[in-house]
Parts: sequence; structure tokens; C-alpha cells
Amino acid sequence: MEQLLEILSPHFLLKNSLYAGLIVGFVCPQVGIFFVLRRMVLLGIALPQVSNAGITFAFLLHTIGLHFLPHMESEKFMALTGSVFFTLVAIFILAILERRRKGFNENRIGFTYSIAGAASILFVSWNPYGQTEVLSLLKGEIVSVPDIYLWLMLAIYGTIFICLVGFHRSFVVVSYDADMATTIGKKVIFWDVLLYLIIGVVISFGVMTVGPLVIFGFLLIPAITARMITRGILPFCIISSIIGVVSAFLGFYLSYRYDLPTGPTDVVLLSAILLLSFLGKMALSWKK
Amino acid sequence: MNTDHCITLKDVSVGYHGHQILTDINFSLKTGGFTVMFGPNGCGKTTLFKTILGIISPIHGTITYGDSHYPRFGYVPQRQILDEIYPFTAEEVVFMGTFGQVKPFCPTTKENRDWVEQCLEDVGMLDLKKRLFSELSGGQKQRILIARALATKPEILLLDEPITGVDIIAQRKIMELISLLHKKHELTIVMVTHEIHSIPKWIDKLIWINDNKVQIGNSLEILAPLLAEEASFQGTLWH
Repeated sequence: MEQLLEILSPHFLLKNSLYAGLIVGFVCPQVGIFFVLRRMVLLGIALPQVSNAGITFAFLLHTIGLHFLPHMESEKFMALTGSVFFTLVAIFILAILERRRKGFNENRIGFTYSIAGAASILFVSWNPYGQTEVLSLLKGEIVSVPDIYLWLMLAIYGTIFICLVGFHRSFVVVSYDADMATTIGKKVIFWDVLLYLIIGVVISFGVMTVGPLVIFGFLLIPAITARMITRGILPFCIISSIIGVVSAFLGFYLSYRYDLPTGPTDVVLLSAILLLSFLGKMALSWKK
Repeated sequence: MNTDHCITLKDVSVGYHGHQILTDINFSLKTGGFTVMFGPNGCGKTTLFKTILGIISPIHGTITYGDSHYPRFGYVPQRQILDEIYPFTAEEVVFMGTFGQVKPFCPTTKENRDWVEQCLEDVGMLDLKKRLFSELSGGQKQRILIARALATKPEILLLDEPITGVDIIAQRKIMELISLLHKKHELTIVMVTHEIHSIPKWIDKLIWINDNKVQIGNSLEILAPLLAEEASFQGTLWH
């Protein structure tokens, strides 16, 4: 109880990390529902890895002296640029190949995951100074989130959330029935590109802040759980975000209370909620 | 619509990625008429249908619409192509029909809610509006998709294989519903089917597609020899 009150205090030292987790827990499931509904779950695993490769590559460039801003500012912004660039390039190449039906989607995503994972490790191993920071990012230790990062995150994720809510109808109809969407005047390619951009920005910025494991967990697990226990698209969206926020808060509390890394604690908690929901649903169907 | 013909195809060739499936297609569809596109599986019916809808561009030729603007289509796809992973209720599926008229960031109006209820009532599905779309039977799903098409307030209703894969009673009910909508709302209807027995005798135009050829006529001219041939081959020709 003492720790809980401490966490809720406005003077709490790690409050930015808690807020960052809550923002991710609230917004990522709204993007994740499209991964689940469009059957792109594997892409949700591969893209954070690609983003991570972008970050490690940017750190490597920075370490060998290729930076254009003063040292401290340049490092984080180069990493963010690397993350956004790698993720957007990967998502658009994968989307174009899928649209042109070249080969099998699973093969492409599997290849992307493998090469991005391998590249991340190689970039880190070639980087003699950045290993500690990159490794803590990989483990999902959401410890130090500077004020400017929190505000930037709030601005970006807030804008994305407003877009997702405001354009919800277009994203849904284009995802569900692209032909019908065309007949009612929706520009399918425009909405697809916008959705991919949103996915790319959420993943790249999220990976930069909380790491690939946490982003993957918050993108997919709340949406999968909510899909199992809700009827109708609106409850599905609302419950996804509630699961995300509750898990982010409880995960942070447990990690602080028992001195655990926050990211993995969040993901284990999300998985526990998924498992309990599944068992609850099974029990209800047996009762009937 | 002001003109007699709502859709006119002139020297149209259709296909995918430059590969022509049907060529030299010339016909017009009368406003308020009932047209059936008929032919065996894989003959190019759906490709032609999607070209008329503007989903696929024609490889050659021109398609003109009655008032020279793209008409409001009510499109009923083959229900099998819709993924059941989406947790939509029947009502939410019908609401999609109104999405073309609602601006982003605007909440759903009472007028739209009432209109969706009306469409559900027109297809006899109002009682099941809160059921998940994925839990409905084939015939019920088809009715919901027709309601969704009606929710667009269409000038032309296009149905792609509306009775395929449903039992004989549901087939009859769906055809009765389509006929009723045609008469009650004076809707222009274009229906694609490969089921020879589902084609009403009173339709205005029959477009028969077979062996990369398009033949246009009335139902009697085209169907009589086909039905006679089918009877002699004990019903194996079209299945």
C-alpha cells in the first residue's frame, strides 16, 4: 500500500516512466486491433524488431562520429530517426509485396524478423560504447524517460489516438471490405497508407521509449484478449485499451514493489489476463 | 437518374494485370431494370461486375454512367470473402452502408440510426440486430449484406452470387426479397449468378458469359436452349 501511494504521488521520481507506460497501454491496443483484425499479428512481431535494428544502426553511426547535432541531443534524435526510417521502409515494402501477391506473406515476415534481429545484434556488437543503453532498451527497462520525451510521446500518441477515433469508420470499412469501401467513395490506398504510417510511427516511437518487447505485448495481447470476450466493434476497442492501461499500471506497481524489470512484468501480466479470460470463457461455455 | 440508361459499356475489355478475360463488351442497362449476369464459375462474371462498379479499371473501352457522375451503388459481395474474425454485430455491418455519407469525427446521428433500423426491417432482420454477424446462418448473413447495401441509399443494387451456398428455402426467400426490393423501391438491380434455376422469368435482360464471349438477350431466348440441354445432360452442365 505504501508503494502504491508513493507511485501515485506527483513527486514520485519515476513518474515519467509510469505515464509513458500508461500512454503506451492506452494507445497501442487501438493500433493493435487492426493487426488482429487484418490478420497481421506476425507483422506485429517483426516490425518492433525492425525498429530496433534502426535504433541500433543509428547508435552505431553516432558512435563512429556521424552526427549532426550537439552530442547529447543528437544521440536520441538519430535513434528516433533510424527507428522511424527502418520501420516505415519495412512496412511499405511488405505492404507492396503483399498487394502484388509476391510469394507467401509468412515467409516474408519471418525473413524480416530474422534479418532485423540479426542486424540489431551485429550493430550492437560493433558498437563499443552503446551496448549498455541498447541492451536495456531490448530488455524493456522503462526507467528513465526525460520530460521532453514524455511530452513528445503524449503529442504523437495523442494525435494518433485522435486520428484513429476520428477516422475509425474509414479504417474499419477499408480493412473489412475494400471493394465495398470503393463503391461508397473511400480511397482504399489512401486509408491503407495512412494506417501503415500510424503503425510505423507508433512502433518506432514506442520501441525507442519502452523497447520492442513491451510494444509487441501492448499491440497484440490486449486486442487478442478483447476479441475473445467482447461482442461488437465498439466494446472491442474500449476493452482493448482498458486492458492495456490496467496492465501498464499494475505491471509498473509490481515491478516497483518487487524490483523487477517493468517491460517483461507488463507482458507477463497481459498474458495472465489473456489466459484468465480464455479460462473464464471456457468455464462459461461449459456452464451453458 | 434522368436518363434511360444508367450504365453503358462501349467496346470494353476486362481482366487483371493487362490479361484480358472478356473483350468487346457492349451493352446498356436500363434505369429501373433487372439484369442478371449468368455463366459458369470462373467465366469472368465477377471481373465484369467489379469493372462496372469501378473497383477494377477496364483494360479497353469506356463505361459511362447515366448522369455522367458515378452513381451510388449498393454492393452485396459474396459473403464468403468477409472475414469472420471481425466482431461486428449485424447492426454494425449495416451501419457500414452509411459510412460514405458520414463525415470523419462526426458522431452517428439519430437519422442514420433510424435509417439503419428501417433497412434491417426491410430485410426482416430487425430482431437479430444485436447478434454477431459471424453467428448468423448463410441466408441471414445475405439479408444483412442486402440491408447494408440498402443503407447506402443506392441508385443501383448489385449482388454478387447472393444465393450461392445457402439452402433451397433460404434461396427462395432471398430471391423473393430481391424481387420485392426491385418492385417496392423501383431499384435498378444487377445480379450475378451461376445458378440457372434462380433466374426469374420476368427479368429485363440476361447477360450470358461463357467461353470468353458475352451474349445479351432476354431470359427466354438464352435460357430455353440451356435448360433443354441441361435436362438432357441430367443437370450436370452448370455445377
